[in-house]
Amino acid sequence: MTSKVYVALRVKATPERAFQAFVGEIGAWWRPSLLFQTTPRPGVLSFEGGEGGRLIETRESGKVFEIGQIRAWDPPHRLVFAWRQANFPPDLHTEVEVTFEAVGAETRVAVEHRGFHEVPAGAARHGWPDQLLLVRLADFWRGQVAAFGGRLE
Amino acid sequence: MADKFPSLSSAVCYVDPREALAWLEQAFGFEVSMLIEDGEGALAHSEMRFGESIVMVGSEWSADHKSPRSIGGKNTQTVHIQIDTDIDVHCERARAAGAEIIMEPATQFYGDRTYRCRDPEGHIWTVAQTVETVTREQMEAETGLKITGWA
Repeated sequence: MTSKVYVALRVKATPERAFQAFVGEIGAWWRPSLLFQTTPRPGVLSFEGGEGGRLIETRESGKVFEIGQIRAWDPPHRLVFAWRQANFPPDLHTEVEVTFEAVGAETRVAVEHRGFHEVPAGAARHGWPDQLLLVRLADFWRGQVAAFGGRLE
Repeated sequence: MADKFPSLSSAVCYVDPREALAWLEQAFGFEVSMLIEDGEGALAHSEMRFGESIVMVGSEWSADHKSPRSIGGKNTQTVHIQIDTDIDVHCERARAAGAEIIMEPATQFYGDRTYRCRDPEGHIWTVAQTVETVTREQMEAETGLKITGWA
């Protein structure tokens, strides 16, 4: 079994527009977090390529950090990518799945982040036990999805 | 954007919270907005959203948190759902999902049409829709009650 953090929110857009904005405009709506920082100094996130591509963070210096490879690419319904922070051990890759489901004129966007409990003691865990870590991770994603929804208003 | 946490919300205990999440969606149209499972797959926390409100759906996580199913069907508080359309349709949807309707929809002296039901674990829910505008004077005349706090 693996841990799972799931958050969902309705956004005012079609699944097509929502998917396009999620992957195409992530650099504009993403809010870097101190608690779940992918790199020590936040850069700009972008999805590079579709199927077989990756989610990267480009730092001010021009250096590129790979957050994770894209594992499923099914626009405008579903997207799965690996999630690795620079402060993770090298072999640890958690996984994020994003789904887009039409509900009337809106779209229900759901993010599921799996496997974060495997993050070992150290920088990425902030000394937190599993339960607190996962609650904070859920808050983090709730903020990201809200910021994403704000862009579509 | 309904992303803020409301000032007041309820946490409801179930023997089987997973079953409850599915049932509450089917019966009342609540949507899961947050779910946290630990490394063993056990449900640690969940929230459902309905309009601008949320309800937390949890397990019997301490000796003092019980589902009505575990305590002879008793309720010590109930959750109220206020909707603005089709109360009778709402009731039929809940009934079809397996709710026990303990009071059929009926229009009350204060202008709301209300029904009351029990969910599969025994939680009592009330549901209402305002269908008539009633003044304080009308209510006092009808009931003999002294009413304050009603515009």
